[in-house]
Amino acid sequence: MALLEIEDLTYYYPERSEPSLEQINIQVSEGELLLVTGGSGSGKSTLARLLAGLIPEFYGGKIWGSYRLAGAELKGWRRRARHSAVGIVFQDPERQLVMTSVEGEIAFGLENLGLPRREMFRRAAEVMTFLNLLPLRDQFTTHLSGGEKQKLALASVIAMHPRILILDEPTSQLDPVAAADIFNLVESLNREMGYTIILIEQRLERCYHLADRLIIMEGGRIICDAAPGEAARWQLRKGLPFIPPVARFFASLSSGADSPVPLTVREGRRELQRTAPASPAPPDHLPLSTVSRSSTQKKEPLIRASGLWYTYPEGTEAMKGLSLELPPGELITILGPNASGKSTLLKLLAGIIKPQRGKILLQGQDTRGLAPSQMGRYLGYLSQNPNDYLTRDTVEEELKFTLDNFGLSDNGVCAEMMKRLALEPLRGLNPRDLSSGERQRVALASVLVTEPPLLLLDEPTRGLDYRLKRELGRFLGEIVAAGGTVVLVTHDLEFAVDYGERVVLLFDGTVVSEGPREILRESIFYAPQMARLFRGRAGNVLTVEEGLSTINGGRAYGGRSG
Amino acid sequence: MLKHLYYRDRGTFLQSLHPAAILSYLAALLLLPLFLTHPLYLVSILLAGLLAAFTAEAAAGWCAYLTVGLWPALLLLLMNPLLSSNGHTVLFLLPPLPFIGGRTITLEALCYGAVMGMRFLAIITAFALYNTQVHPDRVTGLLSRFAWKSALLVSLATRMIPTLTRELSAAREVQQLRGVDFGTGNLRQRLQKYGWLLELLLVSSLEGSLQTAEAMQARAFGSGPRSSYLRNPVRLRDYLCSCSALAALFLSIYARVRGYADFTFYPQLGRLVDGVSGWFFYSAVMLSILLPLIIGWGWQRWPYLRSKI
Repeated sequence: MALLEIEDLTYYYPERSEPSLEQINIQVSEGELLLVTGGSGSGKSTLARLLAGLIPEFYGGKIWGSYRLAGAELKGWRRRARHSAVGIVFQDPERQLVMTSVEGEIAFGLENLGLPRREMFRRAAEVMTFLNLLPLRDQFTTHLSGGEKQKLALASVIAMHPRILILDEPTSQLDPVAAADIFNLVESLNREMGYTIILIEQRLERCYHLADRLIIMEGGRIICDAAPGEAARWQLRKGLPFIPPVARFFASLSSGADSPVPLTVREGRRELQRTAPASPAPPDHLPLSTVSRSSTQKKEPLIRASGLWYTYPEGTEAMKGLSLELPPGELITILGPNASGKSTLLKLLAGIIKPQRGKILLQGQDTRGLAPSQMGRYLGYLSQNPNDYLTRDTVEEELKFTLDNFGLSDNGVCAEMMKRLALEPLRGLNPRDLSSGERQRVALASVLVTEPPLLLLDEPTRGLDYRLKRELGRFLGEIVAAGGTVVLVTHDLEFAVDYGERVVLLFDGTVVSEGPREILRESIFYAPQMARLFRGRAGNVLTVEEGLSTINGGRAYGGRSG
Repeated sequence: MLKHLYYRDRGTFLQSLHPAAILSYLAALLLLPLFLTHPLYLVSILLAGLLAAFTAEAAAGWCAYLTVGLWPALLLLLMNPLLSSNGHTVLFLLPPLPFIGGRTITLEALCYGAVMGMRFLAIITAFALYNTQVHPDRVTGLLSRFAWKSALLVSLATRMIPTLTRELSAAREVQQLRGVDFGTGNLRQRLQKYGWLLELLLVSSLEGSLQTAEAMQARAFGSGPRSSYLRNPVRLRDYLCSCSALAALFLSIYARVRGYADFTFYPQLGRLVDGVSGWFFYSAVMLSILLPLIIGWGWQRWPYLRSKI
């Protein structure tokens, strides 16, 4: 018997005429790891809330169909029993914590269950030990990093001993190292502790292979429920994007074959070795000039930063003599671990903070003397949170607002920007009522109306699904093609190699590597999946397309080409 | 700067106490200056508070509170002689001033003002110690047995402050780069600019509070009677500190009622301490106030003592 069974379930949010979930049928067995994915607005999060018993209890609305947990209708369960049987970890690590200290946070759920004190102590102690939170026991939750906060949220749910654990995009706000940490925990909770896990994710590179089954949602319906390998082949036929690079690569090579699709770099390298043995490694270190896609060396740099030092008021030395020259007309990605100074560098370039030593020349002009409110003429800056931009009542006013601030007249630039960013149908709406992808486009348009030569973006792909990422990448490409320069800080390696031309790797407040995107091939941590797959082989592979053309253009491959 | 103002785990003796023990000690440091007006007592309590702040590595925090507290204290010191002409010992006569006219400045009024200023500083010191030495969760935990809803509210509000600060500065930066200059314009224009930021914060806190409410619901909040998780071991040191704090309170109330801890300012300054009983009560109260600090000093110094209490 399945642990969780959902039959013909349809759900409407209050005052909505369109269903948010339609004809949902899911069965989850004990110990399974189910991965749920889909685009923004496909109903993933609604499904998570339904599974967690928050719908309809917390949200209201109309619901049909049945949801049985361990054989009994969930409606009949007492609330306490229901919430201790199904636990959920949400997206935003900040907003789901309640108490001020780590131990208090773990205790919160246990107190709510009314457990005896001895039982609470035991559970809190065990969960803190298992998740390695003991050193942080007395810490304030405010002082924790995003990854630690998310781990704490997970710990407080596990302490309640749920039979099913639901994780709603638990890593969307985290950097790759913290995200890997969470996925490792998810794996060990599932494989070693036997937890039944339903993982809702958009970032599939690190979790696709962990899943027993993949569910893809679209428009509130489940359009695919299959094993990850099969799902990859099916998606490829349907042109869906929810496949991580390695799986996409092999599914493309053998779309009709019955052999299993390799899902991890390790499986992939074995498969490549079997079917297309590597030729003796050619000289791998091509001179940069031959791999560089544009002759940037000759151009006068747009930004020239020299010897930047910056120490925050509380004493953190974030920039340590960083020097950097960025050419115009390129898309440059800044990569690096947390606290390596990425955001500080972006703020320095934007002129929000000024270097304490060293200087920044933007188009030959020293930016140290410019107030932040003057910088907007030279550059556009998009922060991580598009909500920071939305102060007006309509989308159109939001764009005009920037122009008014700089005393510029609207010579059709607002209309053009709205057209380019597909905001025209939304022009009269309140930006706060839009979806997150739309909000980001409004924010982007609101900084681009001054037509700055430089655009700075801080983690623009955070929380975007594949489709929105592709749209953003295409739009940034257009800006660059029109002669603009885009500098973005990101943790999203695949985005960096798909759309970036130049890469700057930061570490501890200095540049450790800088050059065309091909330098990532040599990196250990920052090499994208495809580069890891092709490491030690011929060719310059960073993306799936490059991998396919290497294989198809080179020796014949064992499987049928897709 | 801000980090000095709030609790940080510094591994000090006061932080190692049970919340009830540290609260009773701080209550003594707060209440004593409130109902005593005797300058000797007030000076000693202020000094004891300072000693506590310095031994608890809260000097930086105390200094930060002092920068706020010093001005009202000075104001008390200056205003009292200007407004009160009681007292017999005339120091000098002020020429006529606007509004208040000519004033006689007396030694008694000056002393009374100084003592009031000191009282104020002693109270500030108690609050500085509270903020730097007491873990807020432990207090809310202590209160949650009796008033868990209020305790939870306090906790949620405390959590909101750093988030709001961060959001405010992010939104401000973004708006600056969009050409909003918060430093220019008349008062109305500036208020309007900050109004936009405020609106942003309001909307985002509303959205955030829904998410928090949902997370609380998912963790079975309000699903029935709660239990309370309190993991505060009670040690010998907690008894010692609470007892000495209670002793200080009791002794000073007794001394005040019986007139041993009284001091006359007007019309003429009285004797500082009257007779053997006066000295006895003063010493007893001060010993009770200092005892936790002495124990704390030994606790820091001798591992043997540490293991025993």
